[in-house]
Amino acid sequence: MAGNGVLVVIETSGGQPRPAALELCGAAQAVQEALGSATALVVGQGIGAATEQAARLGVARVLAVDAPEFAEPVAERVARAVLVAWEQLDPALVLLPGTTLGRDVAALVAARRGVPHLVDVVALGVTADELMVTRPVYQSKLLTTVRASRTRAAVVTVRAGSFRPPEPGEPVPIERLPVELQEPDRRVRVTRMVDKPRGQVDLESAPVVVVGGRGVGGPEGFEQLAELAELLGGALGCTRAVSDLGWRPHYEQIGQTGKQVRPKLYLGVGVSGAVQHTVGMQGSETVVVINRDSNAPLVKQADFAVIADWNEIVPRLIARLRERRGRSA
Amino acid sequence: MKIAVLIKQVPDPNALRFDPRLGDLVPGIQPVANEYDLYALEAALRLREQTGGEVVVASAGPARDALNRGLAMGADRAVAIEGEGLPGDSWVTATVLTAWLRREQPDVIWCGQETSDSGTGNVGPTVAARLDIPLVSNVVGWEFRDGVFEIEREIEDGHQFQEVAPPVVLCALSALPQPRLPTLRGIMDARKKPVERLAPADLGLDPGSLTPLVRWEGLRQPAAKSAGIVLQDVPPDEAVEQLLAFLEACGLLG
Repeated sequence: MAGNGVLVVIETSGGQPRPAALELCGAAQAVQEALGSATALVVGQGIGAATEQAARLGVARVLAVDAPEFAEPVAERVARAVLVAWEQLDPALVLLPGTTLGRDVAALVAARRGVPHLVDVVALGVTADELMVTRPVYQSKLLTTVRASRTRAAVVTVRAGSFRPPEPGEPVPIERLPVELQEPDRRVRVTRMVDKPRGQVDLESAPVVVVGGRGVGGPEGFEQLAELAELLGGALGCTRAVSDLGWRPHYEQIGQTGKQVRPKLYLGVGVSGAVQHTVGMQGSETVVVINRDSNAPLVKQADFAVIADWNEIVPRLIARLRERRGRSA
Repeated sequence: MKIAVLIKQVPDPNALRFDPRLGDLVPGIQPVANEYDLYALEAALRLREQTGGEVVVASAGPARDALNRGLAMGADRAVAIEGEGLPGDSWVTATVLTAWLRREQPDVIWCGQETSDSGTGNVGPTVAARLDIPLVSNVVGWEFRDGVFEIEREIEDGHQFQEVAPPVVLCALSALPQPRLPTLRGIMDARKKPVERLAPADLGLDPGSLTPLVRWEGLRQPAAKSAGIVLQDVPPDEAVEQLLAFLEACGLLG
């Protein structure tokens, strides 16, 4: 058997841990009996709060890589940090979040170490000689089981919403891990970011997410959806079609190339439910849909669907929620 | 500039049907070129229009139709690498393509972000790591000026712009310009273009280096979610009251 223990890579954005990365600590707990205890590797800049959070999530150690050259997400740099930690720990399993960065880093690290990268897994198991994962394939229409021999270590990316982060406990100590970038790690240079959110309710951690799709018909309708989100104590999101049309900013986009959410309530308005969108909301606890088309794929996934023109429903819903708020105030 | 485009043939995602008894796809689904790969090819053709040079489309595993389409769209030549066990898992596919790319030494390697079948997205990054050249994924826009790419990428926090000089691996998303349709002329010309057929052994690969690292075990459908409540042809006021009652019962109204 190769290696011992689980290395959990905590991706950060603006110093904050990505929720999908904290869930990895839950995945690590599920396999630690077979593979050994977990070490969290937190990478970014200004990540003090993120490391403290990770230190309470059932891991045995926390390694912090906190430096300006890790401020922006660049796969080769984060991969270097993971490889340095790997040298130190010789893990049996490395877990990364199934984010755009996590998947690039996982593939690069796996290639450098000559081990498999098991992608986008939703369940994880270990037998005496194999690692066994469940993952969606064919654009999430089907599932398969993938097996890899335990004679090698493995790198696994985990789909958001597949595990719960453990309840916070007593913190373990935080150690700094010095990482020197090598010349090839600097070949890609980030020049700028556009569309970066500032100060909104954080979509990824909001308990309620109201999402508008192309069926909303134009940017004006989103003002009502924003009010609805506010009344429900949540955040506003959109589909890719909507951000591509310029009705809403890209950072509100949920799905394959946008954010991954798993709120208590997902309320989709005029969202048909293309796979590219639903991969970003599959972990939602309760799904409510308002759509004119009863054949929309999202209607089939919904716990509650209203088949109607949203213009008939949303204004009434807003009015009733305002009344309720008035009463309780 | 020499531009390589990696293409995979996949079962037509619009004709996908699952047979629960076989635990597999219904046999005989039409194979097509993976959609993201065609966006990669379109980007490669535009790059050639700007810089001159050639576009080579290559596939590890059977892909005759996809490669022909690539030639008809305007690629200069095609390379079909076929052999037992190909395309294999993403590791094996990347091993074969890396060996071929070492021989060709292209300046730019375009590929799709992921395929619509296994969808690992591993081949691009693995090839980049093994050739030790930079990787830029999730590409939705690019400019090439003074020997340097400025790449626009879609990531969770917004659009990130990166600068990188060739050689580089670029992984395309479908927000790039739409792939052109082959013209009749293109289809006629494609018949005269060179198609090289290679086996892994021609690239110096022994069978031992083509052992997959992972194996798949059948396919199954996700457990069907219990049917939810669907309100149809219910007057709006009534529908809103029922929705509120539902949210209340779920404890979602604070």
